[in-house]
Amino acid sequence: MDALYNLFNVLNNVFVNIAIAIRSLFADPHSVWANLTMDVINFIIVVIIVVLAALILILLERKIAGWTSQRTGPNRLGPRGWFQTIADALKLMGKEDITPAGADKFIFKIAPMIIFSLPMMTLAVIPYGKGMAPLDLDLGIFYFVAISSISTLAFIMAGWGSNNKYSLLGAMRAVAQMVSYEIPLLFSLLGVVMITQSFNLGVIVEAQAGLPFIVLQPLAFGIFLIAGLAELNRAPFDLVEADQEVVAGPFTEYTGLRWGLFFLGEYGNMTALAALGATVFLGGWQGPIFLPGFVWFFMKTGVIIFFMMWVRWTFPRIRIDHLMHLAWKVLLPLSILNILLTGLGIYIYRLVMGG
Amino acid sequence: MFGKGLLQGLGITFKRMVGPNITEFYPEEKPNLPIRVRSSMGLDRDKCISCNLCANACPNSVIKLTSEKDENNKKRLSSYHMDVGRCLFCGMCVEACPTKALAVTQDYENAVFEPEEMKWDMLKRAEQKGKVG
Amino acid sequence: MSINETEELILNMGPQHPSMHGLFRMVIHLEGETVTKIVPKIGYLHRGMEKLAESRTYAQFIPYTDRLDYLASPHNNWAYVQTVEKLMGVVVPERAEYLRVIFGELARIASHQVCIASTALDMAGWSAWSYAFRDRERICDMYEMTAGSRLTVNIMRIGGISAEPPAEFWPALQSFLDDTPEMLEEYYGIFFGNEIAQGRLKNVGILSKELAENLSITGPVLRASGVNYDVRKAEPYSIYDRFDFNVPVRNGCDSYDRTIIRMDEIVESIKIIKQALRDIPEGPIMAKVPKVIKPPVGEVYHRVENPKGELGFYIVSDGTTKPARVRIRPATFINLQMLPIVALGWKIQDVVAIFATLDAVLGEVDK
Repeated sequence: MDALYNLFNVLNNVFVNIAIAIRSLFADPHSVWANLTMDVINFIIVVIIVVLAALILILLERKIAGWTSQRTGPNRLGPRGWFQTIADALKLMGKEDITPAGADKFIFKIAPMIIFSLPMMTLAVIPYGKGMAPLDLDLGIFYFVAISSISTLAFIMAGWGSNNKYSLLGAMRAVAQMVSYEIPLLFSLLGVVMITQSFNLGVIVEAQAGLPFIVLQPLAFGIFLIAGLAELNRAPFDLVEADQEVVAGPFTEYTGLRWGLFFLGEYGNMTALAALGATVFLGGWQGPIFLPGFVWFFMKTGVIIFFMMWVRWTFPRIRIDHLMHLAWKVLLPLSILNILLTGLGIYIYRLVMGG
Repeated sequence: MFGKGLLQGLGITFKRMVGPNITEFYPEEKPNLPIRVRSSMGLDRDKCISCNLCANACPNSVIKLTSEKDENNKKRLSSYHMDVGRCLFCGMCVEACPTKALAVTQDYENAVFEPEEMKWDMLKRAEQKGKVG
Repeated sequence: MSINETEELILNMGPQHPSMHGLFRMVIHLEGETVTKIVPKIGYLHRGMEKLAESRTYAQFIPYTDRLDYLASPHNNWAYVQTVEKLMGVVVPERAEYLRVIFGELARIASHQVCIASTALDMAGWSAWSYAFRDRERICDMYEMTAGSRLTVNIMRIGGISAEPPAEFWPALQSFLDDTPEMLEEYYGIFFGNEIAQGRLKNVGILSKELAENLSITGPVLRASGVNYDVRKAEPYSIYDRFDFNVPVRNGCDSYDRTIIRMDEIVESIKIIKQALRDIPEGPIMAKVPKVIKPPVGEVYHRVENPKGELGFYIVSDGTTKPARVRIRPATFINLQMLPIVALGWKIQDVVAIFATLDAVLGEVDK
């Protein structure tokens, strides 16, 4: 039994131990050079996570789309088609890179890069396991929300830069939608912050050792999921892309790898948001000891991602005024109510416990 | 209650997700088409009496046939061409055929690379197949 | 231009657009996302059907009618051959009439399934789309085993029907009829019962009763505006007077009713098919018609209730083997008139939804 426990412990701390080992190669394990090396390694790991997530999720999305409509999804390349995305990525690299005439070239070209860089920045503050946050920021949640809201800017840059009416309409929708939904998204996270008294994601996960915050904050979790879906522009809130109306919106004019970067960014953002949800509400890497912490973390992230995909392939697209009503008239009051209730709860708890 | 329909929809898609899929794996598993399917045409030269009824029935003048008299003063088919690029596959020619020499067949892989290949020489096709169709 | 002035945005939607159901094009004038004017442009699929008819014999034109409203091709065949029969005074055998009703109602179900599916798809309801299309495949299979084609069926002939259904047709039809309640439940569960879909469709694109009547709109679109008018009841053709069925009427006048009324019509079609199956007699399926069809000099108009509305054929005969003039009254071409009026003031999204509920088939609009 002890041997087994030790094995789990080793597995659980395998990455932390590797990091310590690398640091110990330096004369002073906390010198500037050691920190810099670790930062570079962490950055590479985050990039790998984003790219891998996109590769897996694009395929998973197509598989789920297939399964819901009683098809098999991609099934030609590799075992049951699981290598399809790699072939698609290679194909995208071979495509011609077209910049439309009349486009604002600089903005047009820089927008997909911004979109792609955002999930790398946000995923850097997520604790993947005990002591496994690439960047252990004290303002983790604050930083996350601030960075992810930049994607609005990237969308409007893409829409404006393309010199296309559909793109412009999509970009306008993106601004209206994402700015509205950031507020309930942030407010839904505030309840947890109030309980833990910290913006640090590591501290929040530590505080969920006993029970995940979804039990204490079910309303906030619901608001988080809905607002998160809207923030990611995923169905039923995919008005920005809306193939049937504005023909992929800001992405209409993009081809080849630029378009691929948008996709990488979209799925990276999705991973980041699901990771945030798993961290804040589902207990992050906390879980029964029989699996290492990072496995628990990725499983919880996967559950949220699966839910997002399931919703996407079930629901039709929401109407634009209903979208705004939902944000301002339903989600915002509810999230404020949640903050009030949380505050009351904390007050009563302190009163009872005599804190 | 608001949201009941949403949950119901999620339930239906989940049921379909875990349920069996109904994809036909086409190039590996070829479908067995019913014998009436009009996806291709086949000619039996020996049955044909060169009556030209098929060409007359055709709405789009797809069929061009020529015949010559043999020693018994009987018409014998000498050429039979179909311009499949114009063909509607309506089956009117088959219905008009009095001797059932022309028949619909179930070959559906008719895609070709060059437009000239759409001009079918029915006599040659019949020989190549070694049977009707 | 100062910042307070705004400029109208003219958006060209179509003919290549994912939700334009073929080759429809509309030029939309936008104020923000609100539509201030719609100019429909049609004709991208014009093949000159009426002119083509003049250079074909009466029988040769039947396969062309398949290509009008290609989602319900038996109905187009039916309308055309009945018009010619009316001109010639041919009496069609009983069994052929019953088979025509069965195939016509199957086509109605298939067409309505496509309408439900494409309306769902135009709102990104992907799964709803694939379920309805999955069920439509069974009807296509039945077409295929009987007539040999899945889409352009070409099943009716002047004086009867092209082929007796094979033995395996009847069990397939029976099992399809047995499964329909489950199918409809599924469509309802995934699409019509969904609050998001209801929000998209309810109280959107109001087509008032007066406007619908004034624009001579027909079919489910008219009946969803509260007008009880169906050619099958108003002027029973074929043997429709023998069947006991209701004409579903809804009073919502909105996109939701225009779509869900098709579910009601599927139920009624099932009822008709069941009665036809019960009563169908044995006998020939073709009347005695001459090999060369030469109707007497004269002209005739005949109309049927196509899944989309009233489909009429007007034929002028000069006594030769070819019609002197054929005029087609397509249902969706006339129903499409409502789009620029009804969609004003709605958002782009709603215009797409309103257009989808019209169930326009551009093969029929452009002829």
